Amino acid sequence: MADKSKIVLPASGPLKSVQVDALVVLKICKHASSAHPQVITGQLLGTVASIGMDVDGELQVTNSFPFPSTDLSTSSNDLDNNPASSAASAPRSKAGAWYQTEMVRCLREMNVDANSVGWYQSANLGNFLNANFIDNQYFYQNTLNERTVALVHDTARSAQGALSLRAFRLTPQFMAAQKEGKFTSESLAKHNLTYKDILIELPVSIHNSHLLTTFLHQLDTPPTPNPFNPFSQSNSIPLFPNFDSLDLSIDPFLEKNCDLLLDSIETHYTELNNSQYYQRQLAREQVKISAWLTKRKQENALRAAAKQPLLPENEWNRLFKPPVEPSRLETLLNSRQIEQYAKQVDGFTASVTAKMFAVNGGLSKTQEQLQL
Amino acid sequence: MADKDSYIHLARPLPVVSVPPAQATTSPLSVVINAQALFSILDHSLRRNADQERVIGTLLGVRSEDGAEVEIRNCFAVGHNESQEQVEVDMDYHKAMLGLHLKANPKEVLIGWYATSPELNTFSALIQNFYASNGDGTFPHPAVHLTMSTVPGQDIAIRTYISSAVGVHPDRLADSCLFVPVPYEIKYVDAERSGLELISSAKNNENRSAEVTTDIHALEKALEEVLEMLDRVSEYVARVVAGNTQASAAIGKFLMNTLSLAPKVSPADVERMFNTHIQDVLLVAYLANTIRTQIDLSNRLASANFGAITTTSAAAATTTTATNTTTTAGGK
Repeated sequence: MADKSKIVLPASGPLKSVQVDALVVLKICKHASSAHPQVITGQLLGTVASIGMDVDGELQVTNSFPFPSTDLSTSSNDLDNNPASSAASAPRSKAGAWYQTEMVRCLREMNVDANSVGWYQSANLGNFLNANFIDNQYFYQNTLNERTVALVHDTARSAQGALSLRAFRLTPQFMAAQKEGKFTSESLAKHNLTYKDILIELPVSIHNSHLLTTFLHQLDTPPTPNPFNPFSQSNSIPLFPNFDSLDLSIDPFLEKNCDLLLDSIETHYTELNNSQYYQRQLAREQVKISAWLTKRKQENALRAAAKQPLLPENEWNRLFKPPVEPSRLETLLNSRQIEQYAKQVDGFTASVTAKMFAVNGGLSKTQEQLQL
Repeated sequence: MADKDSYIHLARPLPVVSVPPAQATTSPLSVVINAQALFSILDHSLRRNADQERVIGTLLGVRSEDGAEVEIRNCFAVGHNESQEQVEVDMDYHKAMLGLHLKANPKEVLIGWYATSPELNTFSALIQNFYASNGDGTFPHPAVHLTMSTVPGQDIAIRTYISSAVGVHPDRLADSCLFVPVPYEIKYVDAERSGLELISSAKNNENRSAEVTTDIHALEKALEEVLEMLDRVSEYVARVVAGNTQASAAIGKFLMNTLSLAPKVSPADVERMFNTHIQDVLLVAYLANTIRTQIDLSNRLASANFGAITTTSAAAATTTTATNTTTTAGGK
């Protein structure tokens, strides 16, 4: 992506890529599909390849565990009792922290890499960009360890053929802005932050151990003709290639995507209305203030003429309260989300167009041959 | 393949002591293993201490209502020490970890245990009896024992067993049992298919890794594979026609079946359907791109100039109308 190159990363070994173990991929897939379409979260464990090793700046994710989806201590926060929101905020919650330390302690005993390298979340057609996601990643990058990533597994998109697993980090600009805690036009301009600069996406690759490679070769051995043995393992669906991506019925996906896109645009519109309302209020107040100022100036001019003491001119600070600017964070995230949906639609249509042209060309040829 | 066995089921003898026979089941048991559990065991085997010959762990999963089928879905490692005379399993650890796992996966139950060596010895029996015991164990269901050999240079052999007590001296009851092999099946869940595909696509790469690709790349790869297969088939058919290879009736039948699957539609219909659909799709793509531009514009205006807000809202209004058309197109 073009906007990635502009970002100046800190000099101390930036993260360049993420390598995920096959085990972690399967664990995330299983966890995400078991709760689909609810959002699930979990912890990633692994190591960072430091300078001097083969690959500099590569984050290796070697294990993971799921967070419990139901909140254990519902008494502590009665604000959100529905399980979806509690799962989404699990990485930050207190009960989650206890669970994490216990689990990490246990896993460390078994020689598992017990360093927290981030967290994972499931998504449905890329709808993961919200305040919760940002808060979680901010929590990880700010409080725990700077070098952490958020892995997003898209359940709906993966069902279409290609695995969708993406790694994200917050940009330094966004971290700085979030630290100040306000997202006004002024601070956005100061940090040079646009909706495109919230997240950096890192390339993800999958890694297998030697043992696993052996095992995979063994799993994929062509079935030996042995009809007299109906009990033992004989299912011979090849793992690779997978022809799900040749499926033509992409319309439901496209439709769902358009629905989501519409929803986001509606949110965008609401946000715009809010900010417009603020602008009007501000303008109104400014008119009032300037009216008051001219009045005060005239009064002072009269008083100066009458040799009376002048009245202070900065009293308007106390008299008028300019409205507070609404946070622009929601707008930013929403814009990013819309961009993502639009890109997704683009991707879908690209592949479906290719397939349709293929079908059109192929089918008419078959018909001709059949007629011969 | 190392694990091609055939099975005959014998009703296992019921435990001899202190067990009401009505509860113990002797029905056959079949085991389904999810790929994730196997991967986890392999990972654990790699992480064992250098002096340990085998490592063990607990298997979790679900059991069908009548208990005749178990599905191993998950597992975790348990530390243990083994010497010539005695074996020591960290039971506190097992209990703590089981509790933690059940919190995150409330549906799963204790199924049994695994070991990463094909050997069955006295210690295996001891551990097996613990896992099958009343109380902490799987009783009244049988505990499943899975062995996975991880000797370098050899095939990975998987075996599954259940156990039954053998009638030796009562003093030796705790560390003796009869392991009965049971059939198993490795199953891939639909949700894992895409993940497994990518994982196994890396198996022939020298660095054992693969990049996560985009949809369009996946499509390209799939098409290449199909073309390759078509080439192979047509080559075979050509050889048969030329008389170089003996024709196989089975392959011929398969080919007939596949060819008869080609839909019978008139070219005009195809053309018409194609045209209407492609127009919809292209319209949606076009609108999506327009929206993207609008959003970009709107954001730029909003941050650049306070006064320009009115223009932005006008832009957003256009955007909304644009998407309204999108839904109608998508709905087709």
